[in-house]
Amino acid sequence: MARTLRRQRIKNNIAESEQFRRRSFIGFLCIALAMTGLGFGYFRLQVLQHHEYQLRSDANRIKPRPIVPARGLIYDRKGKLLADNIPAYRLELVPDQIDDIDKTIIDLKNIVTLDEEDIEAFQQARNATRRFRPVVLKLRLNEEERAKLAINRHRLPGVEVVPYLTRRYPYENLFAHVIGYVGRVDAKDLEKLGDSKFSALSHIGKSGLEKFYEESLRGEIGYESVETNAQGRPLKTVGMQKANPGFDIQLSIDADLQRATIEAFGELQGAAVAVDPRTGEVLAMVSLPLFDPNLFINGISHANYRALTDNLSRPLYDRNLQGGTAPGSTIKPFVALAGLESGLRKSEDKILSTGEFFLPGVSRGFRDSHHGGHGWVDLPESIAQSVNTYYYKLALDLGIERFDRYMLQYGFGKKTGIDLPSESIGILPSPEWKRKRFNEAWYPGDSVNAGIGQGAWNVTPLQLAQATAAIANNGEQRKLHLLKAKRHGFQASWKAETLAPSNRIANDPSHIESVKTGMWGTVNGPRGTARAIGVGAPYVIAGKTGTAQKVSRKGSISFNPNQLAMNQRHQALFIGYAPADNPQIAVAVMVEHGGFGSSTAAPIARKMMDAWLLPKSTVAETATAQKTDASVVKPVPAISP
Amino acid sequence: MMRWLRAWLADWLDCIDIPLLIGLLLILATSLVVLSSAGAEDGQHFVIAQGARFAAGLAAMLLIAKIPPHRLRAWTPIIFAFTLALMPVVFAVGSGRSARLWINLGFFYLQPGELLKLSVPMMVAWYLHRVVLPPSWTTLAICGLIIGVPAALIIRQPDLGTGLLVGASGVFALYLAGMHWWRIGLFVGAGLASLPIAWQFLHEYQKNRILTFIYPESDPLGTGWNIIQSKIAIGSGGWFGKGWGNSTQAKLDYLPEHTTDFLFSVLSEEWGWIGVIFVFSLYIFVIGRCLFIAANARDGFSRILVGALAMTFSVYVLVNGGMVVGLLPVVGVPMPLLSYGGTSAVSLLAGFGIVMSAKAHRKFMGA
Repeated sequence: MARTLRRQRIKNNIAESEQFRRRSFIGFLCIALAMTGLGFGYFRLQVLQHHEYQLRSDANRIKPRPIVPARGLIYDRKGKLLADNIPAYRLELVPDQIDDIDKTIIDLKNIVTLDEEDIEAFQQARNATRRFRPVVLKLRLNEEERAKLAINRHRLPGVEVVPYLTRRYPYENLFAHVIGYVGRVDAKDLEKLGDSKFSALSHIGKSGLEKFYEESLRGEIGYESVETNAQGRPLKTVGMQKANPGFDIQLSIDADLQRATIEAFGELQGAAVAVDPRTGEVLAMVSLPLFDPNLFINGISHANYRALTDNLSRPLYDRNLQGGTAPGSTIKPFVALAGLESGLRKSEDKILSTGEFFLPGVSRGFRDSHHGGHGWVDLPESIAQSVNTYYYKLALDLGIERFDRYMLQYGFGKKTGIDLPSESIGILPSPEWKRKRFNEAWYPGDSVNAGIGQGAWNVTPLQLAQATAAIANNGEQRKLHLLKAKRHGFQASWKAETLAPSNRIANDPSHIESVKTGMWGTVNGPRGTARAIGVGAPYVIAGKTGTAQKVSRKGSISFNPNQLAMNQRHQALFIGYAPADNPQIAVAVMVEHGGFGSSTAAPIARKMMDAWLLPKSTVAETATAQKTDASVVKPVPAISP
Repeated sequence: MMRWLRAWLADWLDCIDIPLLIGLLLILATSLVVLSSAGAEDGQHFVIAQGARFAAGLAAMLLIAKIPPHRLRAWTPIIFAFTLALMPVVFAVGSGRSARLWINLGFFYLQPGELLKLSVPMMVAWYLHRVVLPPSWTTLAICGLIIGVPAALIIRQPDLGTGLLVGASGVFALYLAGMHWWRIGLFVGAGLASLPIAWQFLHEYQKNRILTFIYPESDPLGTGWNIIQSKIAIGSGGWFGKGWGNSTQAKLDYLPEHTTDFLFSVLSEEWGWIGVIFVFSLYIFVIGRCLFIAANARDGFSRILVGALAMTFSVYVLVNGGMVVGLLPVVGVPMPLLSYGGTSAVSLLAGFGIVMSAKAHRKFMGA
């Protein structure tokens, strides 16, 4: 059969035609089948998965564009603007629209000043951003740079100059630790905020009030739904959710008192807090040395940051919040109050000071500040003269547990709850603490030392100020706070914050009265330790001096001084209030390496009181004038970039 | 005079297959409507340019329809030799974005690859017409040369899509000529076995396209972008589409090449699945009609040539349709008679001229 076929290989048109019909028919069937299959492929996408693709198409097309509200402004109690928003321009690159980014950066270097840090930050941000999103290369362009960029714009595609609002602190370093500062939002902030929408913010509060009131100041980010093309260029707005501006806040702080306090310190370092005892409003709050928060706003340079962190005086460290010292003799009015409240002492009970106090069975004594002692002293006199023996005995009689319970009630060893972040609780001298910290047992000598504010103590100036204010306010302790009022938006009126209920620290008003008499005696008594600061004052001051000494003295039990940092030794302290009969200001002053409290800390307190109390009558008119100014943004001195 | 004109017109009409012409005109009209939307602000420009090409293509179709198949058959070797000779020229003076595909004639960009899409099946049909069928090994070898040399040259340009289509047109001719099934099986098997070797010869961008086809989400902003955006366009169309002029994917530039290779995605987005099925139906009708004409042609040359052209036409539709929906890798094959592009439309319509010629002259053709 095969042989015959091979021999008969001649053209057979009819057979070929038949063959073709079959083949073309099969071919057509295959094609029709394939088309049907393809049609099903479309069916799957267009009908079965339509919903998903519809969503993706909308997501493609409509991009939410955040509208960043203006950050709330911060004013002092008289309406002076302490934190301001000012328009600025930043340089952005859109990587998607640039062929050679390295070359563009080299070109830009000829136009604007770019340092390595700008470029490094840009490269990091660029890696974390989609290619059609703009990435910031430089913030705060100056006039000249903007002009040059405008001229060169045509040959720099993908390079944009974008207006934004930046923060400015017109008083520079004056409120460095109180207001704190804002900085650029970083990856850690975003993680904490938990929503990528916050990447639209240019700044976020990093410390101080800016951090504490971040949510109020920030406002709510709004959204604009914009139809954008594939290059990310917005074409039209299809929806809008308005941004909600942040709250403006008014502080209880007074800029003039703040400045006067800083000036009173002169070259000295330390901290001071002034409080209105009637309300708990903080009037001034200073930690020295200062720093300029403006440096942080647009990213601090490595050099500037190193200068701040390498400084042995630690300017970034807030002595009021995180710092602290043993209270020294400034604790005596509170120990005295504990003695009265516990019923162990009566105000008129007299105790003999011989110059040295001995524990039974211990040969080394605890000394008084006067060689030979103060003789017989009652409670007010023990405060005025700062008689150690009185408190050695009292602390021993109270016992450390009861002692601590009273101290805790006066606000030591716990946060004051002031509206600032990262407040330290300090340390109350206690057996538990000593065991944990040094793995040592508690001796009666430790209690004796605690009674005069030495040893394992740590109190912050805020705690001292709060406790002093409570005495001044007849035992009614007000919560310390900085926020005085808020307003939502420029036209809104200020809404005063309601005061938290006060907390009674003493059951019997006469007990407070005795302590106050003692504190009056410190400044006004014949043998008071701070008689010098009362000279020439038209009002009456009451107070208490103190010195936190950590160096071991002959005949006393004390801690190893090497375990303490330099700046925690020899702190001069003063607490006080004025006018003594109607207190309007209570202060706590701490001077580092300041010698004795009476010689360095007390004069500073006097200047603060002068600044607060003296001008009151004379500048009443200017105060009202400034009040009207509060609603107007005043021109403020320009700051260095 | 009138009488002469009427006779002349009747003569033309006699050459035309009316159902096929209607099918083609519907596709062309669809193309213009979709283009006017996909082109956005330039829509008018696209419609005019494409309309002019269609006019030129239709004129070529009518002209070729008048040529009797036996004369076409006689010219075939010369046409083939000429179009093949253009290939070295395009290598020397050609232009193109990523490959040398076009010869600039001043008024027109000529793409020799497109001409070979016609001349290669013509040459194969010419040769098969002369030999006894089904094709023997010798016949297969010679056909292999006729198909292989031009296809290889085009792929070298590099233009994988056109090369594959040229190869396919020759293979379809052999299939229709009755090549034994077992031999087909053998070749397909050998072809599949040699795929890993062929992979080595592909250009980097061609490899990327295939890799992106397999893993489109691996590089959503780079090479996978086209496929993803095209699928979004198609999928968001739904049953009835977003309506004419409402393709957001094309209008907002998410879909690249939305007037050329991805025009069908725009159609799917605006007209929905119903529109897709409508267009597919038109294509199936046109292909079926061509195969019907081929089956009724009297001579082997017309039969095989028309059949091969019809089947190749289906490959365009399947490859482009499969590519934009993500079922096939991205190869530069336009949707026939729909996508914006000059030479392709003209050469396709010229091909339909051959089909019409076969239809018109079958009555007079002897064996």
